[in-house]
Amino acid sequence: MNSRRLRLLVCAFLALLPFSTANPAPTPRAGGILNATLIESPPSFSIHDEATIGATWPVMPCYNNLVWFDPLKKQESPDTIIPELAEKWAWQDGGKSLVFFLRKDVKWHDGQLFTSKDVKYTFDTVREAPEITAKLRVNPRKLWYENIESMEATDPQTVIFRLKRPQPSLLLMLASGYSPIYPSHVPLAELRTKCVGTGPFKLKEVRPGELIEYTKNPDYFVKGRPYLDGIRYTIIKDRATRYAAIQAGRQDLPYPLEIAKTLAESVKQAAPHLVLIDSPTNVYDSVFVNLTRPLFKDSKIRAAINLAVDRQGYVQAGRQGAAIIGGVMLPRPYGVWGLSEAEQRKIPGFGDPTKQKAEARKLLAEAGYGPSKPFKITVSTRAVPSYVDITSYVIDQLKQVGIEATMEQVETGIWHAKMTRHEFELAVDQTGIGPDDPDAKLYENFKCASPRNYSGYCSEEVDAMIDKQSETTDQKKRVQLVQEIDKRLQLEGARFMLGHSKEYYLMQPYVKNLIPHQSVYNFGRMQEVWLDK
Amino acid sequence: MYVYLFQRVISAFLTLLGMSVVIFVLLRLVPGNIVDILFASAGFVNPAAKEEIARELGLDQPIPVQYGHWLRDITRGELGKSYRYEIPAWQVIKPRIPVTAELAFFALLIAVLLGIPIGVLSAIRQDTVTDYLLRTLSLAGLSMPSFWLGMVIILFLVSYFGWIPSMTYVSPFEDFKAHVLQFFFPALAVGYRSSALIMRITRSSMLDVLREDYIRTAWAKGQREWIVVFGHALSNATLPVITVIGIEFAFMIGGLVVTETVFNLPGVARYLVDAILWRDYPVVQNLVMFIAIVVVIANLTVDLLYGWLDPRIRYGVR
Repeated sequence: MNSRRLRLLVCAFLALLPFSTANPAPTPRAGGILNATLIESPPSFSIHDEATIGATWPVMPCYNNLVWFDPLKKQESPDTIIPELAEKWAWQDGGKSLVFFLRKDVKWHDGQLFTSKDVKYTFDTVREAPEITAKLRVNPRKLWYENIESMEATDPQTVIFRLKRPQPSLLLMLASGYSPIYPSHVPLAELRTKCVGTGPFKLKEVRPGELIEYTKNPDYFVKGRPYLDGIRYTIIKDRATRYAAIQAGRQDLPYPLEIAKTLAESVKQAAPHLVLIDSPTNVYDSVFVNLTRPLFKDSKIRAAINLAVDRQGYVQAGRQGAAIIGGVMLPRPYGVWGLSEAEQRKIPGFGDPTKQKAEARKLLAEAGYGPSKPFKITVSTRAVPSYVDITSYVIDQLKQVGIEATMEQVETGIWHAKMTRHEFELAVDQTGIGPDDPDAKLYENFKCASPRNYSGYCSEEVDAMIDKQSETTDQKKRVQLVQEIDKRLQLEGARFMLGHSKEYYLMQPYVKNLIPHQSVYNFGRMQEVWLDK
Repeated sequence: MYVYLFQRVISAFLTLLGMSVVIFVLLRLVPGNIVDILFASAGFVNPAAKEEIARELGLDQPIPVQYGHWLRDITRGELGKSYRYEIPAWQVIKPRIPVTAELAFFALLIAVLLGIPIGVLSAIRQDTVTDYLLRTLSLAGLSMPSFWLGMVIILFLVSYFGWIPSMTYVSPFEDFKAHVLQFFFPALAVGYRSSALIMRITRSSMLDVLREDYIRTAWAKGQREWIVVFGHALSNATLPVITVIGIEFAFMIGGLVVTETVFNLPGVARYLVDAILWRDYPVVQNLVMFIAIVVVIANLTVDLLYGWLDPRIRYGVR
């Protein structure tokens, strides 16, 4: 063999090397039971009655939406929405009508046929249309569907959402785990204690406070799915036991939104075979003053509180590194709507902490407070460890500028009632909303008179901006508008944003295709999950 | 005897009636009710919807009326409907009773099997190295909370064997070995603490009895040690031990909260805490009443056992 030919052969071999040594993506395998963990029983099986991950996470496998976020893509955006019960959809009438063309081969778990009547029934119920005969017990997301003027089921496979004005966000909200389609033939009260869905898994057994078990739906309309034979959600109340169970291989998955970074890392150290995934979420931490109290009419006091809190310190001390700084919307590149880090750093409160603290002391002095007459304040928060940790950090920061702050821990059961009635001075809260979507977040938390606008912030101008972004169909223009609103809300102190939490998922290495999204409320269907063992 | 029994039953009934008032009032003194909690996660309050749910559950009625309804239901054998799960409270409570009863039974068995022999040995070897060692062992048991010991057991098992007992209830008919292992470790954690108490009482009671004249006589007659110790001394030293066992059993039924939580056993005690947090009044009221009934029965049983163990005790004779 001459040297030229030899060189050619070596080159050909090297060129082929990456293909021959690369690990091909393993082919999904059917079978097995996924052992997932819950920290408590879901408050009910009716997702439309609830506003907690405690309901969506264990109930989502039972239902389907019209559309959903691609479960295999980490970032949710308008571009990752894919059909589910709808085969396709179309915007009509200049964005004022949204038409869904439904699948024909879908059956409810009790054998009845799924039709457009079920879709109309679901959203008429949630928006509390005048013609409904039964109401949800608690209806936390009525606000999402206020722009729907009417629903039409023109034939069994076509349903039209007629809107008062264009609203591109409607599609994102319909893709959320909070928007399952309910069967019109099962009473709403029954759906609180069991689930009758069209989803990949059927309810097999419920042992209150102990276990929820699902089995594969053999009539599922997506051929070859789900891969799993079933899911067992075991309720484990004690946190240390939960992680011992994962370490010992009894459980495959943790419960979302509960593991601290330090704990995740220490369990990973003890059991290196486990897979640790961290994912920033659209759950944000914020501090807000009660703007309805005369005490806070003074903008200097509000500004001093905002400037007192070092945001980088919040990431390191308040969240032990498990957060990213950000504004109202989840920042880029994790989300699609938020400000970039460089822009966020220009907002007061996100700058140099030493200079900001000096400025805060100066503002307090101008407002008439100082060492001889300290500004005293009560900081309310939920009596939940992660809330208390962040509040302790905030109180320490306030003390550094001379504000005498004391913590009031409020039991979860009465927290929202107190907040809605504005019975607080300063509060620290964590807020998570279904999809990472401006409409869902801005209308709920910042519109005048919204029941979840706890600070009492109200600006007609900002309300108009919120409406404008909502009906803007051009995505680029809409992002710009949302970012303007984000800046404005922060500058006007609607809430003093701290940042967005990062979540940690510790799971067995054989669990495949469970991709955490930036919203924990939307990826619990388990349709694509399979076990490589 | 029958008069005494009748008096005790009447007194137990009055105790339970008093307990029912206390439970009922205390529960309603805790801020918030199920309706507040239903709206808590929703993040807002809808006063009209709240009123409607309160009306459906009968929470809009005056407290004495609600109490009357509860007593009426109990006399009819109805325990109401769980607010949280919207199914009859009995359906929620029923599967939990055998779990807690079995755990309490095994814990007590371990406590007795460890506590009495060690107590006897410690007494007959008084002030020897064996006695000091056994007393240290019992002091350790009393000093360690059972939930802490439970957690240590879990961590030990996972660290050294990469294994822990099942996290869901395993029926003995489904897998007997897994069932026994599921109950053995929590029973050990609880039983060890109780055994320490039983050991100390047995030891001190045995020391008193061993100094009695009839024991000295038995020794003088040249009887074998085991006949003196177990035949004569122990049978007379058991009265205070029986009292402690009775109290411990009653305590266990309601006091296993943390152990059931650590070992994830779906028992009564763990569920009681859950029900309190959810203000699930029908479940809490009936569970606490159940625990109160167990305590009352355990006390009565202990008192009756006294008469059987010591023929000198006569009931109803002043």
